[in-house]
Amino acid sequence: MSHLLDRLNFLQSNELEQFSNGHGQVTRESRDWEDTYRNRWRHDKIVRSTHGVNCTGSCSWKIYVKSGIVTWETQQTDYPRTRPDLPNHEPRGCARGASYSWYLYSANRVKNPLVRGRLMKIWRKMRESLSPIEAWTKLQSDPILRASYVETRGKGGFVRATWDEATEITAAANAYTAKTYGPDRIFGFSPIPAMSMISYAAGSRYLSLMGGVCMSFYDWYCDLPPASPMTWGEQTDVPESADWYNAGYLLLWGSNVPQTRTPDAHFYTEARYRGTKSAVICPDYSEAAKFGDVWLNVKQGTDAALAMAFGHVILREFHLDRQAPYFEEYCRKYSDFPMLVKLEEKDGKMIPGRFLRADDLDGKLGEENNPEWKTVAFDEASGGLVAPNGSIGYRWGEDGEWNLEEKAAGTETRLRMSQVLDEDHDDVVGVDFPYFGADATEQFSTGDKRPNVLTKNVPVKRIKTAEGEVAVATVFDLFCANYGLDRGLGGDWVAKDYGEDIPGTPKWAEKITGVSADRITHVAREFAQNAEKTNGKSMIIIGAAMNHWYHMDMNYRGVINMLVMCGCVGQSGGGWAHYVGQEKLRPQTGWLPLAFALDWSRPPRHMNSTSAWYAHTDQWRYETLTAGEILSPTAPEGDWDISMIDYNIRAERMGWLPSAPQLKTNPLEVAKQAKAAGKEVPQYVAEQLKSGDLEMSCEDPDAPENWPRNLFVWRSNLLGSSGKGHEYFLKHLLGTDHGVMGRDLGEEGAQLPKEAKWHDEGPRGKLDLLVTIDFRMSTTAVYSDIVLPTASWYEKNDLNTSDMHPFIHPLQAAVDPAYESKSDWEIFKSLAYKVQEVAPEILGQETDIVALPILHDTPGELAQDQVRDWKKGECDLIPGKTAPNYIAVERDYTAIGDRFTALGPLLDKLGNGGKGISWNTEHEVQHLRDLNGVWEDGPTKGCARIVSDIDATEVVLMLAPETNGEVAVKAWEALSKATGRDHTHLALPKEDEKIRFRDIAAQPRKIISSPTWSGLESEKVCYNAGYTNVHELIPWRTLTGRQQLYQDHLWMLAFGEGFMSYRPPVDLKTITEAVQDEGDTLTLNFITPHQKWGIHSTYSDNLLMLTLNRGGPVIWISENDAKKAGIEDNDWVELYNVNGALTARAVVSQRMKDGTTFMYHAQEKIVNTPGSEKTGLRGGIHNSVTRATLKPTHMIGGYAQQSYGFNYYGTVGANRDEFVIVKKMKKVDWLDQEATPKEAAE
Amino acid sequence: MDRSMKAISLVLSYPTRELQAAMPEIGAVLASDTRLTAAARRTLRPLVDELASRDIYDLEEQYVMLFDRSRTLSLNLFEHVHGESRDRGGAMVSLLETYRDGGFEPVTSELPDHLPVLLEFLSTRPFVEAQETLADAAHIFEALNARLVRRESPYAAVFAALLQLSGAKANREAVAELLDQPETDPNDLEALDAVWEESEVRFGPDPNAGCPVTRDMLARMDEPIRPAAE
Repeated sequence: MSHLLDRLNFLQSNELEQFSNGHGQVTRESRDWEDTYRNRWRHDKIVRSTHGVNCTGSCSWKIYVKSGIVTWETQQTDYPRTRPDLPNHEPRGCARGASYSWYLYSANRVKNPLVRGRLMKIWRKMRESLSPIEAWTKLQSDPILRASYVETRGKGGFVRATWDEATEITAAANAYTAKTYGPDRIFGFSPIPAMSMISYAAGSRYLSLMGGVCMSFYDWYCDLPPASPMTWGEQTDVPESADWYNAGYLLLWGSNVPQTRTPDAHFYTEARYRGTKSAVICPDYSEAAKFGDVWLNVKQGTDAALAMAFGHVILREFHLDRQAPYFEEYCRKYSDFPMLVKLEEKDGKMIPGRFLRADDLDGKLGEENNPEWKTVAFDEASGGLVAPNGSIGYRWGEDGEWNLEEKAAGTETRLRMSQVLDEDHDDVVGVDFPYFGADATEQFSTGDKRPNVLTKNVPVKRIKTAEGEVAVATVFDLFCANYGLDRGLGGDWVAKDYGEDIPGTPKWAEKITGVSADRITHVAREFAQNAEKTNGKSMIIIGAAMNHWYHMDMNYRGVINMLVMCGCVGQSGGGWAHYVGQEKLRPQTGWLPLAFALDWSRPPRHMNSTSAWYAHTDQWRYETLTAGEILSPTAPEGDWDISMIDYNIRAERMGWLPSAPQLKTNPLEVAKQAKAAGKEVPQYVAEQLKSGDLEMSCEDPDAPENWPRNLFVWRSNLLGSSGKGHEYFLKHLLGTDHGVMGRDLGEEGAQLPKEAKWHDEGPRGKLDLLVTIDFRMSTTAVYSDIVLPTASWYEKNDLNTSDMHPFIHPLQAAVDPAYESKSDWEIFKSLAYKVQEVAPEILGQETDIVALPILHDTPGELAQDQVRDWKKGECDLIPGKTAPNYIAVERDYTAIGDRFTALGPLLDKLGNGGKGISWNTEHEVQHLRDLNGVWEDGPTKGCARIVSDIDATEVVLMLAPETNGEVAVKAWEALSKATGRDHTHLALPKEDEKIRFRDIAAQPRKIISSPTWSGLESEKVCYNAGYTNVHELIPWRTLTGRQQLYQDHLWMLAFGEGFMSYRPPVDLKTITEAVQDEGDTLTLNFITPHQKWGIHSTYSDNLLMLTLNRGGPVIWISENDAKKAGIEDNDWVELYNVNGALTARAVVSQRMKDGTTFMYHAQEKIVNTPGSEKTGLRGGIHNSVTRATLKPTHMIGGYAQQSYGFNYYGTVGANRDEFVIVKKMKKVDWLDQEATPKEAAE
Repeated sequence: MDRSMKAISLVLSYPTRELQAAMPEIGAVLASDTRLTAAARRTLRPLVDELASRDIYDLEEQYVMLFDRSRTLSLNLFEHVHGESRDRGGAMVSLLETYRDGGFEPVTSELPDHLPVLLEFLSTRPFVEAQETLADAAHIFEALNARLVRRESPYAAVFAALLQLSGAKANREAVAELLDQPETDPNDLEALDAVWEESEVRFGPDPNAGCPVTRDMLARMDEPIRPAAE
């Protein structure tokens, strides 16, 4: 109502009383209209929370609650202050978060536990006479009954269940699976713990107590840049967004900050006011492009060529023609540039080989501890060879010299970077470098006909080693040759002038990337000039667009090289800002024991998801990419002609990558056999593996014994958002209707894998049970057997951190969970107690055997300085050294629930730690007993209680150095011992600070600096990665201890990636003649960027976000491409290839570059998606046209920084090299014609 | 207690065996309520029979599909009034207060605007007052009736009955608005196209005329579009 009638618009009564000298006035007209506003803003309480979604936002919100109902939210503006001359963090938030309270009560919410009707009916019937275990056993042993619900996945038919029933089915299935096949057949997938770490920990704690498998996400999402572990020995560490403000030059490279980093974008704007210059590199005219002083519209997938040309210019102008003193000093101290590389002879040619090690030299330079892991350089002062401090050999087995002081063997040194001066080299020799630029497929070809090996001159020194005389070159000299720079040494393939078309020059890059050589030179020069003048304040913000390519390492290493050459890493306002995947769980070491039940048993079962899904969804059965296509022409002799899955099997066998399942035989049985044989577990397993009586599961992924049987998906939309090769998931893992159009290798008559056992018929429906825990009916939920409704972000207590700001932030239960939903913590807790109730029928206290790969940041990472496969007889099988370690772990299936809710005894006994250091934590454990209370009796008597989600947050906060100053000091002390330098000053001022849950509820708190991370939180600097390496002289956790730009592992060299170079996108061969129809005219590169109106799939079904978008799935294409295929804006189009098909509307835009199509991920197939003409099924999601493929270099293990770590290293799910046919649809079929209502996803 | 109102509350609740057993009694209540026309009572029969006799799992699957999974058939009344707008929270608070003023505290996990909850409350109120409340929702009943008729669901009859009980003629415009705009019939491609359509941007002579795309977008935010499939 307007109340217009009650209000005087033009007149004021002069009878009105006045007071306060006429400043106040009494009015008599109705003021009811004010009630509108009073009601609008009424509330009982305001609660702080945030949105636990994969957006890296961690924004503070005020949640308004009235009578137990959330009425709305507004942005909170009370972040701790920054410091003078730095803008504040607020406001943080975006349109998506602001619409959340509208989503909370959406009709799309899951209200009750749902179970597939046919499963429920059978279950209830069986339960009338059978125990839960008997019922599940009977159900699984009857193929018809099993098929009756498996085949209906995705086709509706849910009924409500009680919590008791739903957890009972799940618990029975888990117990049966552990008993029948082994606990490592129970999988759980959940991503991004940082976004709601207690909710993640609930599931992973349950799985870890059971012996189930926690699956990684960062690598699977392809957000993990393997270049980071390769270069720094660190998963990912980046500057917080506030540090953008300190930059003098900001290069945005494939990162669309205004669109995808909404709450942080203000720092980008503010930096521009401060005078920061910005260049934006992206193929399309993106939101970010509009911010740039210059926009380089590079052809998609060719970024490495651009990076190489940038590097060429920087080297020429700042390292060769003139040596910028700051750059020179930085590179000598903090990079591997001075380290010596042995040149190895192959067919009379020289190729760069392994780093020279102390072990190669007579007398080993006096190094007795790990000489094969200590790299060597020339000392300018003495002219002799030295093994400088800080290499990984110093990290383990000794203390005090693992640091970046310019010392070797206790003596001051100054390492020599180049041997280019006549007096510094013995000879100049031709060295072979692989060249891949001429291998490009049609869409990326520039007509390049150069040979695939380029021989370039390099200055070398000849030295005597234990194996005779060898030529050695510094990394820097090889690096310059690789970038094609003429240094007056003669020879081919090097350039003096930027205008020469020689690999590495701006001219060469211009042809590949479409960016003019002038612009390349200009941006490179400015970038480096700024870095020189500001001591490294040039920053590169980089994103998924660069990392989702098969050869992402080349893109990333190209960028990292630029930053290292210019001394930007570890400097405030500079460095590598990779923002994809909210990987920064700040209180990590406090969280790990809770999350993986390390307080009860170690180690947990971790699995790299990419390899697991590749194997278990049978995507490997369709692999078209052969090793030969990506192998280097300079590869050493070896058995390289094997398929990608074979490489993965070898990696698992040698202990490089984890396995799940691990052994074909149930590990509970193997443990019994070992005991019966009277042997230690590792010894027994080794013998059995050697004799062939035990098999690793990886060698036969399709054997029923090796299938994953139960899968939990929580906090994730695996099938609707992140499942690369979606249709293969449906076909093989789920066993339901699918859109795969291609044929497998057997049907194609192609070369079959050598190591993986081939079954002619690919299995369908490997999973016995799929349980999804979500608050909304996502695509994954639609395909599940059981859907459990979870509390959403205003209904539970949890913790949230981000790499974008330094605060730890709570999620809080502003209201009770709506409908029947419960928090993830409560769900898994009840499941744990349910297992305790039903499992004793078949399981008691059991010994499990966990296969553990060789882990980074443990002494084991020095396991394999040579590649040797025990199965080929190249070495003996030594668990933990040449193969996975096999560790006996005690489980108690009669006390899973009791253990879930109690802090176990191992923290007192073994302490806590992370990233290679550890400390005693008895004091903190006692504090937790005092704070949370103690169990008075039962199997967990004397343990601290972890009953509620708040109890769980206190465990994390108490144990983590980031939130407990006392622990931080202990952690720095532990690190000081290794480095021989005192670092405790970084935390001592905060020793008495202990952050509790109620503290962060009152206000987000800045974390305390800890050695878990390489940046500091202080009054002087913003958080920036590598800061403590540079300023505290803590080595990077790599082989050389420095930022390592040269990779010398055998497989890196075999695949031609010792150095960075440009590698064109790979040919996935998905547009086959069979799949192509007559008249198909348009084939485009399929790109799936982050969207504006959702966070991945979350919010994508929110009506308001749909309204702001076009209302359903869309793809973007250029005007020229649209014309070719007769497509007009808003037409329905179909996209397809052998992997499957999807349907969407076309957005025709000048913004797009010809040859590409964008489909923002992830638009659910449950929303506004019509049927596909190609498959006859409802159109798929963006991943319906993709298939994951592996890269062998990502499987490397047992080798310093290239050793496995969960979400740290491993194969990644790249998907941008994909091509699709785009066609206008003839008629749109909504597939809703059936008389009976059926599920949308059908 | 208004037993018809209570009966409809039960019929619209999740089917259970208990409900099945009580269906003869519930059916009798509905069949004898003379506030409903004979025709209306007759059309309720198939649903009553179905609920009484059909396999419980089929009934449950059907209920979940219709009322839990289909946005456009949601039994949460404010889904149809406010959608995902921020007014929804406030409206629920008001309804909750109405229940409290009436002397009741909700003890269900359902939200206050869940139709069976409201009907149970109304069954305790004088009929005149209940009628008034029902009349406010008449356009929703008519729209749900139309949608369920289109799906050939026997549940359609319940909404026809509610409409009669309300004694109101649903506001034609309001019904049309609900039927036309928010629920885009997945089978009606033209209607769907209309939802998707963006207005053409014209660079006219008046530089201050504003952007038609933005204007339409803002207009639609008042009445968000609904997805076709559920």
